[in-house]
Amino acid sequence: MPPTKTKTEKTTETRILFRNIDEPGLSKISTYKRLGGYKSLVKAYTEMTPEDLLAELEASDLRGRGGAGFSMGKKASFLPRGDMDKYLCCNADESEPGTFKDRELMQKNPHQLIEGMVIAARAAGANRCFIYIRGEYVLQADTLDRAVAEAYEAGYLGEDVCGTGEQVELVVHRGAGAYICGEETALLDSLEGKRGNPRLKPPFPAVEGLYGGPTLINNVETLSNLPHIVASGAEWFRSFGTEQSPGTKVVSVSGDVAKPGNYEIELGVPVRGIIDDLAGGASGKAKLKCFFPGGSSSPVLTVEEGMDLPYSFEAMADAGSMLGSGSIIVCDEETSVVELALRVARFYHHESCGKCTPCREGTNWTVKMLERLSHGEATPIDLETIVSVQGNITGNCLCVLGDSMAAPVSALVAKYRPEFDQAISMGGVNGHATAGNGHGGDALPDVAWPLGAGSAG
Amino acid sequence: MVEPIRELVTITVDGREITAPEGQMLHDAAKSGDVEIPVFCYEPKLGEPVGACRMCLVEIEGIPKLQTSCSTPIRDGMVVHTKTDQVKEAQNAVVEFLLVNHPLDCPVCDKGGECPLQDISMGWGPGKSRFTDVKRHFQKPIELSPLIALDRERCILCYRCVRFSQEVAEDEQLQLLERGDRTFVGTFDDRPYDDPYHGNVIELCPVGALTTYTYRFRARPWDIEDAGSVCTLCSSQCNVKFSIRDEEVLRVLARDNEDVDDGWLCDKGRFGFQSFGSEDRITQPMLRGGDGELSPISWDDALSRVTKALKSSGEKTAVLAGGGTSNEEGWLLGRVLREGLAGNAIDSGAHPADAGAVRGLSNPALTARMRDIDHAGAVLVLGADPRNEMPICDLRIRKGVRRNGVRLAVATDSPTALDRRAHAVGRYLPGAAAGFISQLAGEIRSEGSSSGPDAEAVAALATELRGAEDVVVVWGEELWSEPRAISALMDLATVLGIEGTETSGLIEIPTEANGRGLREVGCLPGASAGLAEAPAGPGVSEFCEKLRDGSLETILLADSDPVRTHPDGEGWKQALGNAFVIAISSFETPSASLANLVIPAENFSEKEGTITHPEGRLQRVRRNVPPPDGLLPTWNFLAAVATELGVDCGFSDQPGLFTAMTSSNGLYQGITEEDLAGQGVRWQDREGAAGRVPAGGATPQMAAPTSAPGSAGAPDSIRLGTRRDLWAAEVAERSPALEFLVPMQSLEISIPDAERLGLKQGQAVEVSAGDGASVEAKVAIREAMIPGAAFLICGARDGNGNLLTGAVPGSRTIRIEVATPVGQTENT
Repeated sequence: MPPTKTKTEKTTETRILFRNIDEPGLSKISTYKRLGGYKSLVKAYTEMTPEDLLAELEASDLRGRGGAGFSMGKKASFLPRGDMDKYLCCNADESEPGTFKDRELMQKNPHQLIEGMVIAARAAGANRCFIYIRGEYVLQADTLDRAVAEAYEAGYLGEDVCGTGEQVELVVHRGAGAYICGEETALLDSLEGKRGNPRLKPPFPAVEGLYGGPTLINNVETLSNLPHIVASGAEWFRSFGTEQSPGTKVVSVSGDVAKPGNYEIELGVPVRGIIDDLAGGASGKAKLKCFFPGGSSSPVLTVEEGMDLPYSFEAMADAGSMLGSGSIIVCDEETSVVELALRVARFYHHESCGKCTPCREGTNWTVKMLERLSHGEATPIDLETIVSVQGNITGNCLCVLGDSMAAPVSALVAKYRPEFDQAISMGGVNGHATAGNGHGGDALPDVAWPLGAGSAG
Repeated sequence: MVEPIRELVTITVDGREITAPEGQMLHDAAKSGDVEIPVFCYEPKLGEPVGACRMCLVEIEGIPKLQTSCSTPIRDGMVVHTKTDQVKEAQNAVVEFLLVNHPLDCPVCDKGGECPLQDISMGWGPGKSRFTDVKRHFQKPIELSPLIALDRERCILCYRCVRFSQEVAEDEQLQLLERGDRTFVGTFDDRPYDDPYHGNVIELCPVGALTTYTYRFRARPWDIEDAGSVCTLCSSQCNVKFSIRDEEVLRVLARDNEDVDDGWLCDKGRFGFQSFGSEDRITQPMLRGGDGELSPISWDDALSRVTKALKSSGEKTAVLAGGGTSNEEGWLLGRVLREGLAGNAIDSGAHPADAGAVRGLSNPALTARMRDIDHAGAVLVLGADPRNEMPICDLRIRKGVRRNGVRLAVATDSPTALDRRAHAVGRYLPGAAAGFISQLAGEIRSEGSSSGPDAEAVAALATELRGAEDVVVVWGEELWSEPRAISALMDLATVLGIEGTETSGLIEIPTEANGRGLREVGCLPGASAGLAEAPAGPGVSEFCEKLRDGSLETILLADSDPVRTHPDGEGWKQALGNAFVIAISSFETPSASLANLVIPAENFSEKEGTITHPEGRLQRVRRNVPPPDGLLPTWNFLAAVATELGVDCGFSDQPGLFTAMTSSNGLYQGITEEDLAGQGVRWQDREGAAGRVPAGGATPQMAAPTSAPGSAGAPDSIRLGTRRDLWAAEVAERSPALEFLVPMQSLEISIPDAERLGLKQGQAVEVSAGDGASVEAKVAIREAMIPGAAFLICGARDGNGNLLTGAVPGSRTIRIEVATPVGQTENT
């Protein structure tokens, strides 16, 4: 695909969700309100009907920011109307390697999320809301707890939202450390107190979700967009980004770049602009080699393939990868692709829930073969088997976790086959075994750690 | 809430047109059209499909990805392919994945030869594995329970067993622990899996991961034979399949009969077969000599002695039938007594049923089918604990509640296993059922009419039942001990409008396995075969009295052990000690140990005959192995006795006996052995059933609702009740595998009573009642108990609670003395 934009000017951030992100004390309701917060909520509850809201959301074409990129308004419209208990779950189980955008959004601007949720609750007719936050996000969960208490106090949550008689309850629930609970149906099982395993779909959560009731599940960033859409309108929102990917996106850039961190960009800016202009380009002397455009589960794109593409849902899909959660993991020439594949496979092997056969056994088998490859104990047949096993996993699993390993591993083998062949013929990575103990092979570059300890709101 | 009827639709599978109900799962629809799609995790009995194993992936036109056929409901015009390259590739992949961590130790695995994993690997697998790395290892086998061994290496994590535990038995003990390929099946903290249905997981397991210690390394599928019969250990009458090698039963499996058992067995039925070969089993006729010891005699001798004894007592003979006594045997017993001896003292069961009321309750419109429970609007469990009295009924009620939203109301004297699943629970004092039921009927009739201490519970129960579309009432035989309770029950049935609807009704849980059949073939005072009018006679509770005062001289016990299982065990002891006792029994039971003559009985692997399920279904018990030592079939012996007494039998073999039995029985008339086939037949489902029940006899009188006689006696007194325990049974004690389950006697008591009396959990006490008899028991304090009552296990081997009850349950109060001073236990 030919590049659609040439680099004529420096790419800059377009801050909507991050507009006041560095304002001291933003996590407090007083600061948030001083900066205009909760006005959208009041508008949504006093000036708009649920139907108006839903129409506005559908018109905005806001796509889910958690990974799948499904239209948020459409998803909300799937919930049946009627007088039963309906649920809204915010998926804050941000666990995809390389992804840390929700972390900053929740830690620094929790009220933006809460406001978004209360608005979404009205649009979907939900009266019970949950924020399912990964257990490791202790600070963020504490921050949310305080913010939720403030919102209850201020009357934005509770039995009588803004004096309209509408009831919206919100509970912050901490996960127990499983990546799979970021899968929406596993999240529901976990929330119900069961083992966090994905459920069979259909029925989809919109019809039969939490406790068997209609349930809308959205990512933190998706919901954080709502106050802005309500405030300024769908048309305004669509003025950002591309036709198929409207709005902005908070991108977590990590790996071998000089300035890793979260950057909010307009969708459709060139990848090169994000990596070079915002993240400062390569961190070391080596040139950049490849990058994961949407978290570790997205197939890698080589620098040649991907740097000049516009960063949008459609362009990444057309290039054979995906925008996913919007996390760019950058690798330079010093990165061993074999070790990289092993690191990715190990993660998904560790996180596979074990419910369905291809994922459970396929991730296990792949890791064993890649370990041998990295130790220099593999034969050319193993490489064939690795490729074939990824094919056998793809499309045959209960949820997408299996595919999440198969896709990047397949892409790495396909795009860097000579490196794998070399590991076989030369007796391991760089001619010697390195990854024998399960720790040494940690070749995935350290992800960025952009939040200083002192920046907690 | 009637079972939904679905339209038939046509789909195409591999070019073959198949017509099946819309919404049926594709796997099942394909099967009905003879297209086999391999599965591991899918088992409709376990509830909703989970789509975990991925073995059943198929191609559906119009859907790009392969779909799991176990979880795809069919739609009209669906076109499915199960043999395309894409499907084959996926099937090969899944089999190869499954074998990655499977040890392939088939030559030493018990499942070898009857293993779905073997079959599917051969039929749908790639034929070889490319996996060359190290497989996972576990310590093995692990004792999941004293009956089940778990081999975690063989496990393919289909989690059928876990789903059984969580969604069928609802014990929630089996769990998947860890995750990914480290996942394994286990229990919390490695505690033993303790559940009366847990043997079912062995049959569910599609590999050799779960095996039973009773069958491990005993046989191979190619040297066993399968043989069907019906379990006669309780009134569930589950359909079973014996695995037989060298004329010996090695294993009992479920033989699916959805109308009866839903394909499940309890552990008593599954492992009780061990008692068949018990060393203590009586296999020859025995005579008690002057020294009090039994010694064997010949069958001819036995026949002449029995005949002589019966002739000499004549009409002063009583017959008490029970257990697995077949319809044929019961019918012969009736003829022996009524025609041969002109006697009238014949009964079955533990509580005195009234012939007129039995006729009323036998009205086909009043009888529910077992499967009516599945989709009932509400189920009322009345005076019974299904788990301990008819275990499979407990599972069926759970299924209805869990899957179909059945509302469950429980009204009993002691806590039941179903309490936790019930939407309303009511408790009454032992012996106070009649008043409680009357109140309930009244409350349903006019809301707010009940008063007194039970008003709240009654109102809650009534709320569940009032207006429910179809109500099934599952009630316990014990209600017969209060005559007014039966008329109250009839009144309740009227209020609930049960007679008017096809899918509602009553089901009685009898204490004896063939309780219903025995009554229907004439083992009931005042009713002969087919419930026909017969001269009135004493009932079971009067036998006891009359044997003691000498107005009855001889009693013939057919598979009945009244000393152990009937109320007033102490009275029965005296009664049997005072009479000439002929016992047909497999063991020297507490009653048989007082017998003068013991005739050995067959068990349900040896017997040929029919029995009748509580829902009225005639089922066939078949001889699959020969009885030991030339043991004569009981029907044969009884027929010989009848002939000796001048009764013209007119048949010479078992089929002839069956025909004679049915043709003389208005209810069973016309049923042939072919009708019974493998699944049995309900006599009520046959033409003209309504007219088959003879009218007449006493119509049960409507009891005037009275206040519950709950406050009888001194305010602090504690009434004695008994409760049944699944394992307090001869068969558990005679089966080595089950012996560890035999309960110690325990006294269940409410929290306030325990506090008032200063009793502590687990404390040893001596309980006495009536004329000073006493039993030892451990205190079990339970929250769900009604204050003012305490319960002992009836039929316990040691310290049988029946020894203390009078003839009328709940009529006695007890004294409790602490056996071990409290101070001592506290100090230790």
